[in-house]
Formats: sequence, structure tokens, C-alpha cells
Amino acid sequence: MTEDAHLVDNVESSQSREIFWDKDVYNLELERVFGRSWLFLGHESLLPKPGDFITTYMAEDKVILSHQQDGSFRAFINSCTHRGNQICHADSGNAKAFVCNYHGWVYGQDGRLVDVPLETRCYHGQLDKAKLGAKHVRVETYKGFIFGCGDADAPSLEEYLGEFRWYLDTIWEGAGGGLELLGPPMKSILACNWKVPTENFVGDGYHVGWTHAGALGQIGGELAGLAGNRADMPFEELGFQFTTRHGHGFGVINNAAAAIHVKRDGWAKYLADTRAEVGRKFGPEREELYVGHWNCSIFPSCSFLYGTNTFKVWHPRGPHEIEVWTYTMVPRDADAATKSMIQREATRSFGTAGTLESDDGENMSSATHVNRGNITRDGRMDSSMGVGFEGPHPVYPGIVGSSFIGETSHRGFYRFWKEMLDAPDWAAVKANDDNWDSVFTNRDYWADKIEAAE
Amino acid sequence: MSVKQISVAQDVHFAIEAHYRTEVRLWQTGQYREWLKEMVAEDIHYWMPIYEQRFIRDRRPDPTPHDAAIYNDDYGELKQRVERLYSGTVWMEDPPSKIRYMVSNVEAFDAGDGEFDVYSNVVVYRNRRQLEMTVHTLGREDKLRRVGDDFQVFRRKLNIDARVTQDKNLYFFC
Ligand code: FES
Ligand SMILES: [Fe+2]
Repeated sequence: MTEDAHLVDNVESSQSREIFWDKDVYNLELERVFGRSWLFLGHESLLPKPGDFITTYMAEDKVILSHQQDGSFRAFINSCTHRGNQICHADSGNAKAFVCNYHGWVYGQDGRLVDVPLETRCYHGQLDKAKLGAKHVRVETYKGFIFGCGDADAPSLEEYLGEFRWYLDTIWEGAGGGLELLGPPMKSILACNWKVPTENFVGDGYHVGWTHAGALGQIGGELAGLAGNRADMPFEELGFQFTTRHGHGFGVINNAAAAIHVKRDGWAKYLADTRAEVGRKFGPEREELYVGHWNCSIFPSCSFLYGTNTFKVWHPRGPHEIEVWTYTMVPRDADAATKSMIQREATRSFGTAGTLESDDGENMSSATHVNRGNITRDGRMDSSMGVGFEGPHPVYPGIVGSSFIGETSHRGFYRFWKEMLDAPDWAAVKANDDNWDSVFTNRDYWADKIEAAE
Repeated sequence: MSVKQISVAQDVHFAIEAHYRTEVRLWQTGQYREWLKEMVAEDIHYWMPIYEQRFIRDRRPDPTPHDAAIYNDDYGELKQRVERLYSGTVWMEDPPSKIRYMVSNVEAFDAGDGEFDVYSNVVVYRNRRQLEMTVHTLGREDKLRRVGDDFQVFRRKLNIDARVTQDKNLYFFC
């Protein structure tokens, strides 16, 4: 892959349509994006006891995530080292061991090969079980969220999240209790490239008023004015967009955390009761973020809406299809009734039959599949909204865009995506650490704006 | 369900099947407001739980309405879903998609007090745009209540026969 601007042009803010269609691009993504990034595997709350496990994916690789006797988590490829059969077919459970259905090889909770049928009689004592454990991937956790990585040279999870933790801590730690995830996940197939929903969540505040006009009209509340883009709103006072070193980013709509929830008494009260403590711990800017609504993606393929509290993983299945997994995020220390109502409201809006989810799916699949056309595919997509109305900020880390309706975090996502595709290894990525944000050229945007306001 | 339940008389069975045929006709012709008003009781619980793939030896209980569910609606929430479809701004239904239902294996039992436990199988065929086609099969467990000379549903549990939904959404009534 050359370092030219064909796939992603950071100057013109455009992308080739091949990024949603081309098989070679996808294969390179499997190797260089998914193979080297930290990928969301689960949350401690989904497997609370030793022996608990869940099965999931890292891109197209099947993985078992297993809670160890010492309280740590391990993850290993869900494929037997004998003849390759899938080891475990359950979604979740509690197991002392995993037994392969084919010839009965037995793997421990830690993935070590512990027993082989007829070992002495038929392998004649020559099988080196220590070498035949299931293949491990790295596992690290941050505030209860568990990630896996297939690259020994990748930085730690904390470094990978980088300055984005400044934002994440606001909600993943919050007033102190932090978040947990409620499963089991809803799962559905969507015929789209995995980057379409990721870019939609990372920074598409633009589509909300139009795509979701029907649903927003029914829900009412703070966002009803967005429906149909009819209201004349001061968008520069309603929120921001952010992008960070490794492509993680989000948009925030101020004071709208629970806007999508109709039955929100418990959740609104929880936010009201805890915001002062968040302000005390993290300062006024993050207290403001805490009561805003976030549309967020963690590079590459994990997204959530904080406030609505839906949590998604977009597992790729080839360039033109994904498996959507949907969990709900809830405050760990909220009461049971509040957690349950948050889950119901998050599902009613963004579950498999969600009133807003149902608006999004068709856009995502048609934005992918239209590119099968040869003339179509030999074209570009634009993401230039708000270019120049963004830059480094004295308080917020990363690059900050002036409005939640803009494409700052799109640009930041594709900037890093291209960097990962181009880089031969993580050392090459790290070499850009000091000038990664130079593509956002208006360095004085915020200094000028803040000075003008004073 | 026990095999000892009391099956309804033939005329009641016929009336329940006729009720289901009417319900399907209303859905297939987009008369959602009429469906909700005439055929759904105001104390409805409309529920499509999520069943994980679990080992048979797994002793965890089945899902309850307090767990994650694809549908977990009361009357007001169903009404919100219905009204969204009349907003004129649901772009994916314009041009409208096609939907066809096959309801079969209706088994009805008298639960006393004018209430009936009814089990049925449903096949839902959706055809959208040029080539999109999806099929879903569901087992349906209803509690119907006699209202005048017709019925209203006040409990509906939908068991969808797929762990991974092979469709972009499940936004249809069933
Ligand atoms: S393939 Fe697993 S035991 Fe042979
Ligand atoms: Fe959306």
C-alpha cells in the first residue's frame, strides 16, 4: 500500500469508495487494523465468576474469553490445535474445561491442553501437550472493559486508548461506581462495510435530524427540534466533536444525556445525584460532558451512545457484511429498577427492533452496496463539514470541532485508519506521535475563539 | 404447556383463527392504528426475549421481562412504534416494503374467565426494494381475552427461531 492520498485524502477530506468495497483493502484491514488494534471482548460484569466464559470474535477470529481462578481474564482462539475444529459452541456459561467435539481433546479454563483421549496407547507418550495449548491473544482491561490484541508489539491498552481516557474516565469511572454491561447481546446481520456504522457513531451528528426524523418526532424531548432539520438552532452552542491520537472520537450534545429515553426518571435522577461528584473529581468541563449525550467509537469497531446507553460491536464478515452485537451500558451502582429501565429504553431505541436502529440500517447497507458499480466505485466520498472550525484546545485533549454537527471525528477516524494501513508496524505508528494532528491545520481556532469571547 | 389443558370448542377455535386472519390482514395492509385499537388490550405485555445458545447442562434460568429483550413493550410503547410509521418520515418504508404472514398450528385452550391461552407458529416474509428478502419463523404464545364478540391480546410472547437475526431489523408486528 502506498502512502498516497488515494484511499484517504487528509487534505481534501475525502475517501475512495473502494474503502467500503475492495477485497484487497479488507484483507489489509484484517492484518493491519484488526490484527494490531485492541478489540473489545467483553466486560467483567458479563463473566463475573471464575470459570465463567463468553465466546466472541476478534474481527473474523472466534475467541473464548475466560475468567481465571485468580480473577484475571484470558482469551484464546476458539479452534482446536488438533484438527482445527471449533472448541466451544455456547454463547456463554461456566466451565471447568472445554472439550472439543471432534476427538475429545480437553482444554483448561486457561486454554492449556490438559487431556487427550487415548494419549498413552495411541500417541505412545510422544505428544507434547505443553506445545498444543489453544492460541492466546493479549488481554488487558480498562475500568472493567476487557480488550484483546493479536499483536505482541502493540502498545498497552492504556497507551492505545491514550488521551481518549481523559474523556472515557468521565463516564467509565464517573462518580465512582463506573459502568457495567448488560447482556446477553442482541445479534443481527447487516449488509454493510464495518466502517459505515463506525463512522456514523464516531461523528455523524448530521444524520440525526434527517434519518431519525420520524422516531425523534415520536420521542419528543430535547432532540425533537432536530427532527427534519427544521428548527433554527445555535449549533455551535449545543456541543462539540473530538478526535484523538488513535482515531477514537465522539460527538457530544450538551445537556441531552437521557434525551432518547422516554421513561427516564431513574436515569435522570442518577445523573443529577452524581454530577457534582464528577465535577469535583474531573472539573467543570467533564461535568458538562457527563450530562451530555455522546455518539462515540473506539477504533476500530466498537461504538456506544452514552446517555442512550446502547453499546455496539461491529464484527466484520467480509467487506460487505457485519454482525451487529448490542449490549446496554448501565451505572454499576444504580438500583435494579433504574438499570432495568435504562436497558429497556436503550433497547427500544437502538436494539434489533429499535425505533432509531431501524432508521439507520438501510443507509448503512446501501452506502456499501451501491459501490459494486464500477463507475460509482471510481469516485470519492466527502467528509469536509467543519474543516477549519476545529483545532487543539487549551482544555480538551486531541482535536476539538466546534459543533456536534460536523465531520471532525470522521476525519480523525480515517486519518488513523490510513496511518494503520500504511504503517509496517507499531514502531512506524509511534514515530508519528508528535505530529499526528498536523492535518488539522487551523492551529489557532480555539485560541482565537476564546480570545474573541473575552 | 400441559397436554391436559382444556381445548376450546370448535366454534371458539374457529373464531380465534378468524381473529388471527383479520390481524394479519390489518398488518399486511398497513392498518396499524386499527390493529392496536381493536385487537390489543391496554394491559398488553408484548415481549420477544433473547435466548442465548447455552449448553444443556447450564442451569441458569430462562429470561424474564427484567432481562434483555428485543421487544418488551407496554401499550404506550407499542403505540409509539405504530405512530412512527404514520410520521411520513420513515424513509426505509418509502417506497413501502412488502410483508406477508402465515399463521398456523393454532392451538387454543380455555383459561377460564373469558381468557384463552393460544399457541401458534408464524412465518413472516419481508421483501424490500429490488432484491432484499428475509424470512423469520416464530413461535407465538398469546393470552387472549374475550371482548364483546371478538378477542384482544393481553400477553404476547414471541420466540424467534434465530440467535442471530438475519435481517437489518425486526421492526414489524407479529
Ligand atoms: S479437532 Fe479437536 S480433538 Fe481433534
Ligand atoms: Fe443513526
